[in-house]
Amino acid sequence: MTDTAIEAAALGKRFGWRQKGWALRDCTLRLPVGRVCAVVGPNGAGKSTLLAHAAGLLAPTEGGISVLGTTPSAARERMAYVAQDKPLYPQLTVAETLRMGAELNPRRWDAAVAERIVEEGGLDFGSKIRSLSGGQRTRVALALALGKRPELLLLDEPMADLDPLARHQLMGTLLADSAEHGTTVVMSSHVVAELEGSCDHLFLLGGGRVRLAGPLDALIAAHTLVTGPTGDLAPHTVVESRTTGRQITALIRPEGRIAAGWQTAEPSLEELVLAHLRAPGAPALTLTDEGDADNSRGGNGGDDDGETNGTRTHGASV
Amino acid sequence: MTTAVAATATAARKSPSPRGLIRTVLRVHRPALLMWCAYVLLMTGWMLWVHHVSGAQARAAQDICRANDGVCVDFDAFAFEEGMSMVGAFVAYTSYAVAAWAGASLTGRELESGTARLAWTQSVTPARWLTVKLAVPAVALTVGTTVLMLVYRWIWSANEGVRSDEWFYGDPFVNRGPAVVAYALCALAVGALAGLALKRALPALGTALAFIVCFHLYLDERSDTLWPAKTLTGTTASRLPMSADQLELGAVTGSGARINDLSCFDVDTDAGYARCMADNGFTDLYAEVHPQSHFWPLHLMTTGLVLAVTALLVLASFHLLRRRTGGTS
Repeated sequence: MTDTAIEAAALGKRFGWRQKGWALRDCTLRLPVGRVCAVVGPNGAGKSTLLAHAAGLLAPTEGGISVLGTTPSAARERMAYVAQDKPLYPQLTVAETLRMGAELNPRRWDAAVAERIVEEGGLDFGSKIRSLSGGQRTRVALALALGKRPELLLLDEPMADLDPLARHQLMGTLLADSAEHGTTVVMSSHVVAELEGSCDHLFLLGGGRVRLAGPLDALIAAHTLVTGPTGDLAPHTVVESRTTGRQITALIRPEGRIAAGWQTAEPSLEELVLAHLRAPGAPALTLTDEGDADNSRGGNGGDDDGETNGTRTHGASV
Repeated sequence: MTTAVAATATAARKSPSPRGLIRTVLRVHRPALLMWCAYVLLMTGWMLWVHHVSGAQARAAQDICRANDGVCVDFDAFAFEEGMSMVGAFVAYTSYAVAAWAGASLTGRELESGTARLAWTQSVTPARWLTVKLAVPAVALTVGTTVLMLVYRWIWSANEGVRSDEWFYGDPFVNRGPAVVAYALCALAVGALAGLALKRALPALGTALAFIVCFHLYLDERSDTLWPAKTLTGTTASRLPMSADQLELGAVTGSGARINDLSCFDVDTDAGYARCMADNGFTDLYAEVHPQSHFWPLHLMTTGLVLAVTALLVLASFHLLRRRTGGTS
């Protein structure tokens, strides 16, 4: 057994032959099993491309990706994938769609799980997929994915079509399932708020490259929001700074002690993500579970045999 | 012991039964399958009607005509011939509809709407998915077109006396053997490839249809070159039976050159023939023809060619799918 759910090494994908057509470039990251990971980024950041590679739907242009310790196509049976537009056969009924799941996954199918998710949404098993609303379709797609009893669940913008109640409820189902079976969940979103509180790992992509990667609490701990009079923030790495009058507000990665006179605060997930999105030039940061920070993109991809406290000590003197 | 168990386990892991996938493909394409069954039944019924109703009338009218020394205008024969050529055309052009469907619905729409990705992320490899996607319709098409071919062959030969089309006419040539089956399979393959390559239903429909129409028309023109023709000379060349497919006719001059001159071809008597030849300075006549006995060689060569193209199209589909998804297992 491996303890790595997804490991990408310099993964790159170019669509077409145009030099500018890179959807994903030089993407190196690692996700341990059992995590609930958010893949965040603006539209066109490469989130869907990364998930489609993990699902074995695309062949990389360069680099490679391994899933559950093997190639994506060899791990096909052990993972489930829900695409962004939740494709289902419109001419089938809900019951026929679930039967398809059973027939195409004969060794893994758990009918009870799938049926429960459909029933929780009050869906009629006899209704055709084409008569369902977008949110109901999402529910059927998730039922199909969870019914497969995957070890790795890849969800591309899973909650976009759902009303707040259904979103809350389905997220609860997902997290409970993940906790109960140790399922690794990877979900992409450009709505950061819907991920806060449910994820413990983060990949932030921008412009086809990895901007932030690592355990969520470690990433947050590696950053500090500082406010103070205009001044020099060296030697800290400044991700983004904004000046209002004589005040400067900045998100920094502290390198050593922060001088007195600065007000410090721990950034929220949203602040962390937005600051990086507003500052595309900020250096990338990849953290692993051992707590070693790596400012170059090549995150340490080795086995993390010493998973300790999940946080890091690097420069966190506040 | 353990290795044996492990080996069995790997074997089981490698090949889950395709039955579930077959049932899924049948369920997804059920409307198309029902349409196909209805089409085969309808065409069979129409052909039987042409034989039993208009054919019977034409045969009866022909008997009366013969009794009157052949002096009559046989309207019933016209009706029969029209029916015969209509069913012939429908059977021969079946592949056009198949290509359109395969391009649009079998693969094109699946890639356009993303349902292909849904299938590929179940416990089914893309290659296996494509295999079943091709095999299931291929079986239905083979059975259906074989039925149509056998019924057409039967009414074609049962109405020998009243029909006026010959074996080398485009539609009967294709319809009276396995070529019609091969065309349907070729249409399926080109549709599947177009859908995979273009990833959209409508362009795939257009491309697949255009390909099969051009391919069919091209072979219709050129199939007579697929087997060496027979050269006839003298009066054998000028008195050809209706059943001979004439490729080239002409006369041979004193210098041995072949010229395209048909002036001695319509002379009936031997004496008239000799006079005509002497008057024109011809030493011989010649005719390049395919006699009726060339039907099977020509037909099987055509079938082989169509099947070879089909195989290339199928290989290209698998290659494209593998390259795109990177799946090897």
